[in-house]
Amino acid sequence: MDFLTIVYLVYSFIAFYFLFLFVLIYVQNKKRINWVPPITKRYGLSIVIPCYNEEKSIGKTIDNLVKNGYSNLKKIIVVDDRSTDNSYKIMKKYEKKYPGLVKAVQTKKNTGNAAGAKNYGAKFVRTELIGFTDADSFPEVGAIEKTIGFFDDPKVGAVTSTVLVQNRKNILCRLQAIEYIVIKFTRKLLEFVDSIYVTPGPLAIYRRSIFEEIGGFDEKNLTEDIEITWNLLAHGYKIKMSAPSKVYSIAPTKVKAWFKQRIRWNMGGVQTMIKHRKAFMRNGMLGAFVLPFFIFSWMIGVFGLAIISYRVVRTIILKFLSTSLSVKSQATVIMLNDIRLVPNVLLFMGIVVFVLGLLYTLFALYTIRERKEFKRPCVFSITTYTFFYLLVYPIILVVSAVKLMFGKAKW
Amino acid sequence: MVFLKKYVFLQALFLTIVMFLIGMYVGISFEKKNLDKSEAFFSESEISLMDIVALNNLASSGDVSCDVLINSTFNFANKVYEEALLLDDYEKSGKVEGNLLYVHRKYDLLRTYLWMNAIKVKEECPDSFSTVVYLYNYDVKDLTVKAKQSVWSKILMNLKSDNPDEVLLIPIATSDDFVSLEALTSELNIKTYPVVIVNEKDVLENLTSSKEIEKYLN
Repeated sequence: MDFLTIVYLVYSFIAFYFLFLFVLIYVQNKKRINWVPPITKRYGLSIVIPCYNEEKSIGKTIDNLVKNGYSNLKKIIVVDDRSTDNSYKIMKKYEKKYPGLVKAVQTKKNTGNAAGAKNYGAKFVRTELIGFTDADSFPEVGAIEKTIGFFDDPKVGAVTSTVLVQNRKNILCRLQAIEYIVIKFTRKLLEFVDSIYVTPGPLAIYRRSIFEEIGGFDEKNLTEDIEITWNLLAHGYKIKMSAPSKVYSIAPTKVKAWFKQRIRWNMGGVQTMIKHRKAFMRNGMLGAFVLPFFIFSWMIGVFGLAIISYRVVRTIILKFLSTSLSVKSQATVIMLNDIRLVPNVLLFMGIVVFVLGLLYTLFALYTIRERKEFKRPCVFSITTYTFFYLLVYPIILVVSAVKLMFGKAKW
Repeated sequence: MVFLKKYVFLQALFLTIVMFLIGMYVGISFEKKNLDKSEAFFSESEISLMDIVALNNLASSGDVSCDVLINSTFNFANKVYEEALLLDDYEKSGKVEGNLLYVHRKYDLLRTYLWMNAIKVKEECPDSFSTVVYLYNYDVKDLTVKAKQSVWSKILMNLKSDNPDEVLLIPIATSDDFVSLEALTSELNIKTYPVVIVNEKDVLENLTSSKEIEKYLN
């Protein structure tokens, strides 16, 4: 057996393992996927909205929170991180519109990341629970209420929600919409093994005492929402996800912005791995699963890209040499034998993994119930997502690793 | 409860191992079936070759016509060639077990024997056909050589299809431990592979078209 065959078999094994893991978790917990604990106590809640140049959406976000329907929402603290547009003026207008409920504050100078603005806003919170939502995210009516019951368990440090894409006008947004749904499904499954690894910015609620105990958000990290989640796990707290609690967020519409966002997410992920490296194989599920899962995914992604690149480059060179020699010799350029796929064990494994992976995506899409205005993804979007979108991931991993190595970690 | 939650990781591992073992079993069985088929083809070809050798011995006593000898040699070469294509497919699909390499080597030896027999046939029936022997590297890593071999194969296939009754094409993957092949090529002073040997005297180390070989044919 040659080296590449062994590598392919190892990859198949890993892929099978995770597919089976998620299938088993689903089968064992399917009745609890959409379960929400009943509210026994209406905890006081304040929500912090960090804002930097969001004049187009900040008003809508505030309106949306006010009308969200949670009766014990005490304060909405909107933090302007020294925007250069009219965001602060709009906040002030809304402060007057909702007196006593909305409070507009401004950081002393631009903090350079969402964590700084979030921590600044958290200083004004006095309620038992503290929530965060991005300035371009819109929780569905009732979304907040569906997270509250989880806090009856005193070990619960945070509750996250289902994040979905609001804008779906172009193909990039539609691909992200599929991705968000798959991530949502996977994240909920991970909750059942205490391994939620992120409490995303669009809507996450924390117990304030625990939030303060762990020191809030890490302002040096590019993905403060991943880091705080790992920090909670490291301190032994539970993180829950309320699947029926939905929040719609604006996704990047252009490839450049999307790529930049993904690079930031990955760089932040690596920063978090490095910060919590000592938890490896310790600290409950953080060290036993979350951290190894991240490290492993990163390694196999980069290694896989290296192998694929090597194979692709070699094939291109070979085809170029053969074609130019064939043309010179007036020999047949392509024969049936050159393009025929010969069945073998690797092809069989590859097809099985691909089909199971595709079924997983389709199942995740099938389980979600979205607003009526959003149609289910079409075959073209699913195909593009499967064959192109996912294949860009390893490239993002490598670019983020290189950027991080050269110290280019910035928001 | 916590234990039950984590138990799912072991369950998934168990399922994966089972699935993987099934996959490997199916794969190995598939490859084993191909190996058995190749072995069966080889045995048949071996019998055919022995038959031709026997026929060749009879020819020296003048009991067999040249037509019969040439036809049987060409038919055998074509049969071995078809089997080689099939073996090539099997080899591409042989990822887990490497047993087909040995079948390939046996076929190369068989083709060497065919070449030796063709030389004898030409002695009995002079100028009746041309032998074009293509000696190449089996597992070549160098992309330039690989591309060159791929193009040469195509040129030789064109040559064969243009001259089906005049050219006996014998491709052989070289090996250091084939003494018979070494003996056959020792006088030709071959230094690098791939090479094409036409009628045991002309050695072509560069090949640009099938027309170029046609100049050396009988």
